[in-house]
Amino acid sequence: MPALSGVVSSSLCPIDSFGLGCGKSRQLIFPHNLHYSAAKASKRQKIFQVKAGFWESLKSGFTKNSTTQVIEPPSTLQEEEDSLPDEFVLVEKTEPDGAIEQIIFSSGGDVDVYDLQSLCDKVGWPRRPLSKLAAALQNSYMVATLHSVRKSAGSEGNDQKKLIGMARATSDHAFNATIWDVLVDPGYQGQGLGKALVEKLIRALLQRDIGNITLFADSQVIEFYRNLGFEPDPEGIKGNVKTQISLLYIVRE
Amino acid sequence: MLLRGTISYTLPTSTLRLRTTYTYPQNVAVSAQSTSSKFSISDQDLESRGFVLRRTVEDLNLDHLNSVFVAVGFPKRDPVKIRVALKNTDALLWVEYSKTQRPVAFARATGDGVFNAIIWDVVVDPSFQGIGLGKAVMERLVEELVGKGICNIALYSEPRVLGFYRPLGFVADPDGIRGMVYSRKQKYNK
Repeated sequence: MPALSGVVSSSLCPIDSFGLGCGKSRQLIFPHNLHYSAAKASKRQKIFQVKAGFWESLKSGFTKNSTTQVIEPPSTLQEEEDSLPDEFVLVEKTEPDGAIEQIIFSSGGDVDVYDLQSLCDKVGWPRRPLSKLAAALQNSYMVATLHSVRKSAGSEGNDQKKLIGMARATSDHAFNATIWDVLVDPGYQGQGLGKALVEKLIRALLQRDIGNITLFADSQVIEFYRNLGFEPDPEGIKGNVKTQISLLYIVRE
Repeated sequence: MLLRGTISYTLPTSTLRLRTTYTYPQNVAVSAQSTSSKFSISDQDLESRGFVLRRTVEDLNLDHLNSVFVAVGFPKRDPVKIRVALKNTDALLWVEYSKTQRPVAFARATGDGVFNAIIWDVVVDPSFQGIGLGKAVMERLVEELVGKGICNIALYSEPRVLGFYRPLGFVADPDGIRGMVYSRKQKYNK
């Protein structure tokens, strides 16, 4: 029985998620229309195709059980030309009892703040005030989420939807973006979902012509981000970012 | 995936009062700062020397700002994009030189308004460097962010200006946390 927790993890790095110290907060479900992708945002799930190489890495995280299906891309598709939809199915699995689980990526930013707090609890982040969490999401330029939607075989229409991952980015909408708060439910880690989350977020940012994408990584996850195309302390990058050393200033009152 | 909450931090400067060990407050309470001598140079001091502190984009000539950027070595950026960036900036501060009514110092911060902020584009016109304008701008910008309850304030800096940021309370790569930048040239591994 291919429960997802039984999936063998591949060589992909496990994801450690770290919280920001300021105390967690819960949030209200915040509306789609705060993001400019909202005009296109829809609840319909579209199946899209992604570059083959990427999917190879994702597939290797799954068991070879024949009931597991991964949405395959045609190899002719060019990633750069493909416009990223707001919401699409990343992975689809069929379980022996006929139930189907889909992992859905969305950049529409529809996050139930209580779900988010539960997710933060699961990964062990300190609690932050809900209102602050809501505000942070609202003030983020982009919020990407992963949801697991499980449809039981009886086709009764009872879908179980669960938030299993999130990443968000703040930005000035023109030059710079910074990625914060990347987290994946521990029960779904090791499958390349965190990688997918960040990769899609990056693509969405690049599509909006945000050239400088930054983040701060704890030493344990530096390799994870390096594999996604990030460089620590890059040298001599002129332009929007004066780089070499990153400084951190932490304040508590 | 950035900041670990267990970081403890010691602030060397005397201008800002901060606790040295970190706890997780349920409510982020912002303590009131002393009013008189919290900055290295006071607003009045600056004004008496012909410099006016501004906190909005109003009256900020973007072409003049752009020329300051260019003067310090940034590539020239599209003023339309600069306008968009400033519109979506959490806080900004600039110094106007009364005589010419041009910006001579500038800094801005982006973020989510509650937890994190990153400071960008800290510049001082080369003709006006070394007299404390950069410090004036930074101190006030940080104070404004702190006043909003923002706990994590970060920036990227070249090593040669580390000495500028350190007295302001900045620490390099605490606890092994590194800043990373996405590089399109890099192919990502499996």
